[in-house]
Amino acid sequence: MPQHTIKRFDEELHILKELVLSMGGLVERAIGHAVKSMLEQDKKLANKTINRDKAINALEVQCDEMTRDILVRRQPAAGDLRFIMGIIKLVTDLERMGDLAAGIAEGTLRSLEYPPKNFSNLDIMGEKVQKQINRTLDALSRGDIKLAMTVIEKDAGIDVLYKRMYREMLTYMMEDPRDITASIILSNVAKNLERISDHATNIAEMVIYIERGHDIRHVDHEAAAKLLSGEEI
Amino acid sequence: MNTPKVSIRDLRLWYGESEALHGINVEFAEKRVTALIGPSGCGKSTLLRCLNRMNDRIAACRIEGRILLDGDDIYAPEVDVVQLRTHVGMVFQKPNPFPKSIYENVAYAPRIHGLADKGAEMDELVETALRRASIWDEVKDKLHSPGTALSGGQQQRLCIARTIAVKPNVILMDEPCSALDPIATAKIEELIDELKQEFTIIMVTHSMQQAARISDQTAFFYMGDLIEFGKTGRIFTQPEKQQTEDYITGRFG
Repeated sequence: MPQHTIKRFDEELHILKELVLSMGGLVERAIGHAVKSMLEQDKKLANKTINRDKAINALEVQCDEMTRDILVRRQPAAGDLRFIMGIIKLVTDLERMGDLAAGIAEGTLRSLEYPPKNFSNLDIMGEKVQKQINRTLDALSRGDIKLAMTVIEKDAGIDVLYKRMYREMLTYMMEDPRDITASIILSNVAKNLERISDHATNIAEMVIYIERGHDIRHVDHEAAAKLLSGEEI
Repeated sequence: MNTPKVSIRDLRLWYGESEALHGINVEFAEKRVTALIGPSGCGKSTLLRCLNRMNDRIAACRIEGRILLDGDDIYAPEVDVVQLRTHVGMVFQKPNPFPKSIYENVAYAPRIHGLADKGAEMDELVETALRRASIWDEVKDKLHSPGTALSGGQQQRLCIARTIAVKPNVILMDEPCSALDPIATAKIEELIDELKQEFTIIMVTHSMQQAARISDQTAFFYMGDLIEFGKTGRIFTQPEKQQTEDYITGRFG
């Protein structure tokens, strides 16, 4: 795409995108650390993760200030407008993902008193969710709607993993009431991961809106794919 | 879409040897505001001026194609241009009231067209036009002072009153706010929003924000071609053509 006649506008959009991507990078790392802290029962790492959430929150505020400034000064239209609108929305998702990661780290701290017998598929689920975030941020960075669609499609798999883990935790609780606390903590952690993946999906939907102008938030996958291929639905 | 008020079919226009419009096809809906946008020299004002045959006055100007007003060709030989211009009024970039009183500015055209008798009937016509142009309250106590003594924004609303006094169907506006301050501009925009209940309005504007604010449909022109035409909301959020996108996002040349 050619540059704006006003070069400063290009710079502002570039800076904003970098800011959002670095916020995404922090979120991605926070989730990795949170899950690791649980799996390794690492108190220090859990505390670090909780503390670092402040940086993510601060970036959200900074992004909001920038988008507000661009709206009022540049009155963006078309693709620029969709980019700004998309950023306003997806920054909220990123911030929530950060909170959920901090929530997992808090689960770690609680679980130190009630050590779980085993972590079920938490490692796999953690990896898959991280991969989702990684794809989402790549899709945003490159404007890759194919990759964004992949994120949306793969969310169902994360839901299945969560349900499986939840059922497994139920069986531990039934077998031995002393495991109830640990099992609830773990199942909450899995729930957080499942919700993080939902937020990644929201961001992927925003990427599609930014790039193509289609709002696919409340349409099913098939219809969304048709829409993107240019067919009428 | 409403019924088309004005239809343009394969319109080509030359100034001497150079072709300024390369075959334009477009329909302007009745009682809607259509904004014509595009960089200087793209042909939007030329097109606007074809709609009430203002280009007739330019000797080197030649056109091909058809322009239909309610289905009738406005370039047909039997058409009386003076009569045509009562149906298709025009408001210009710079307010240009006659050097006469406010009352006379509005009454002049209805009188020569015999639309109202002197006295009470004309008084009523003048008042109605001034009210519909949202300027009555500001001028009702000085109807006989010169129109040129009003502020720029008031002069422009007076010109709009003058235009609507002859009860046109279509009002053409050529950058009607470019010489006005933001408050006067807002008043004209508010007025345009009211006038579209009765008139079909086609306006050229260089302010993309203005097009986005007040038009229902937007047509983007570039180098004598109509590049894209559609609902304003869509044009400004999701244009189909890259050239439109580049222009409205400020990435042009």
